[in-house]
Amino acid sequence: MATYHLSAVGVEKAYRKGKNRVPVLHGVDLQAAPGELVAIIGASGSGKSTLLHVMGLLDAPDAGAVMLNDRRIDHLSDRQRDEIRNKTFGFIFQFYHLLPELNTLENVMMPHMIRLGLWEFFKQRKAIRRKATELLERVGLSHRLHHLPTELSGGEMQRTAIARALAGDPEVLLADEPTGNLDASTGQEVLELLRDLNRESGLTMIMVTHDTQIAQQSDRVVRLAEGRIEEWAPALA
Amino acid sequence: MYKYLLCWRYLRTRYIALASVISVMLGVATMIVVNAVMAGFAEKMRDRLHGVLADIVVESEYDMNGFYNSDEVMARIKEVAGDDVKAMAPALETYGLLQYYSGGQRFTRQVQLIGVDPKQRALTGDFSEFLVDDQANSIPPSFDVPDSLRAAASPAAQLIEGDPNDPLNQALAEQAQLQVPDDGALIGWGLATFHYNDKDEFIIKRGDKIRIVYPKASQSPEPGADDFTVVGYFKSGMSENDSTHVYVPIKRFQFVRQMLDEEGRGAVNQIQLKVAEGVNLDVLKAKIQPALEALRPMYFRVATWEEKQGPLLSAVAVEQSILNILLFFIIAVAGFGILAIFSMIVVEKTRDIGIMKALGASTSGVRGIFLGYGLLLGAVGSGVGMAGGLLFVCYINDIEDWLSDISGRRVFDHSIYYFNEIPTLVEPWTVFWIVAGALFIATAASVWPAQRASKLHPVRALRFE
Repeated sequence: MATYHLSAVGVEKAYRKGKNRVPVLHGVDLQAAPGELVAIIGASGSGKSTLLHVMGLLDAPDAGAVMLNDRRIDHLSDRQRDEIRNKTFGFIFQFYHLLPELNTLENVMMPHMIRLGLWEFFKQRKAIRRKATELLERVGLSHRLHHLPTELSGGEMQRTAIARALAGDPEVLLADEPTGNLDASTGQEVLELLRDLNRESGLTMIMVTHDTQIAQQSDRVVRLAEGRIEEWAPALA
Repeated sequence: MYKYLLCWRYLRTRYIALASVISVMLGVATMIVVNAVMAGFAEKMRDRLHGVLADIVVESEYDMNGFYNSDEVMARIKEVAGDDVKAMAPALETYGLLQYYSGGQRFTRQVQLIGVDPKQRALTGDFSEFLVDDQANSIPPSFDVPDSLRAAASPAAQLIEGDPNDPLNQALAEQAQLQVPDDGALIGWGLATFHYNDKDEFIIKRGDKIRIVYPKASQSPEPGADDFTVVGYFKSGMSENDSTHVYVPIKRFQFVRQMLDEEGRGAVNQIQLKVAEGVNLDVLKAKIQPALEALRPMYFRVATWEEKQGPLLSAVAVEQSILNILLFFIIAVAGFGILAIFSMIVVEKTRDIGIMKALGASTSGVRGIFLGYGLLLGAVGSGVGMAGGLLFVCYINDIEDWLSDISGRRVFDHSIYYFNEIPTLVEPWTVFWIVAGALFIATAASVWPAQRASKLHPVRALRFE
């Protein structure tokens, strides 16, 4: 039985700007237990998003490791990492990142479209469509199934993105400033939705935010400063 | 699965990319039209060249004086070829001069003189189909001078009336004989006419007397001359033949050239062979050549009609392939248009590529989207181009009429080519290769942008502004 669901162990990451090497993460350790909602806060440029990207296998660490159920996953082949991203992780981004050519329903079906070949998808299309519709109903968008992203409000787009992140039955949800682009009340709605999902399905969630109000509603808050993690308590704020 | 959906969506939503395939479309359409018209012309030309010649020609290659034993040669051919040869016609061909009067002035032209038996000659090729009167109506293959023609052309003949045995009538007939020689000649349409104001005007009419000058048979040829009456025209549509050929009766030609031996056999220097359908000409030729070699070594040359017309046919083939290469450059240029526009689309879609990678799309999957998109664009471009090209070919004569009406000038002058309409021939394999080539270029042009898209780093792509 794994103690931690997803963890970063001594992760280091630096970016190259011209000739200069800009270190972002200096040996970060972060663990998320199964079903835990961890919030990462930090000033802008502190490396929160980079950490999330490394843990989500969108980027590779310079040193250190990423473990999923105590198994190292950051050094796997491209094909295996693609598969883990598709099946194990669900991503939510600050700018929603929906595909503009596809309608809401098609965007939500995207993880399955990527997972399955033409024939397999065709065979399972009814089940996939039903599931996507249910998810959109769950996030309160049953009236927007066939709308293009450009026809949706910011809150609706983020809820679509959440439905998409859930569509592939992930174990871990990685959210990068999910409320960052929304007004306070819509942001609160989105957060409550995430919180509910976390409670209902026991999804492990790692959420990056710079908003302490939002962060406080999670199980645990860590602060990233100068490329290192420190535990955070509201009293210290 | 997402690859197909996105290809399709991109195709339907990116009109700029569709604009880039217009050049592919035009290239494909142009190539189909040009190839169809050129193949049509080439086919017509081959038909005519073939019609003027027979399938196989046996010649005395270096000896213009020819051979007297044509019966023996023909018997020998029949012996080795059997039923493969359907008809044979000897001919006596030489160079000469044609003299005629027009407007009180004497004209001399250099011509090819061919002594033939018209009935035999008609059996070996399309000779009889090329014979026309001044109205371009078909006439039978014959050198006989019809009375109507004689009467119309000779003032003396017009005076004859009553009893033909009457001394006066006999004197007039004698006079008519001088004015209108008994032996007819069929001369090339191009020799008899000149082209003026989109019309052919006659300078040598039917019934006119012409004089031909030829070399007499001997080791050091001397000129001889004889008069003939023009009874019709030879109009094959090949200007080279129509402006040089003069056909005269072979018996008369042999006689005046002093080419009859003591047994009364006339010399010929050519035998034309009509071959049964489906017989391989080269195989038959290879059979006939050694048989004649045994008859008289190093004398006869057996050639198929294609070999005889080799330079002309290969010139057309070269022309067509050069044109195809040049036109294919149009499509290649279109390929660079696709490359440029695709590179722009990849930049525009950078963030979407990042999203797809975040959702688990593989490198090859992303590459597949853009390669598929390129293929789809190529398919649309070449498909529409093919349909457009084939429609254009189908209605080419209506389009030509319409263009002529608008411009007030004939685009395609029928009288120059002797075609009533523009000949076209659509060869399915040509169309296939054109379309396949266009598809290949469209796909090849999308390889580089697709490769670039697939290599994008997901984080950098997601952060792309």
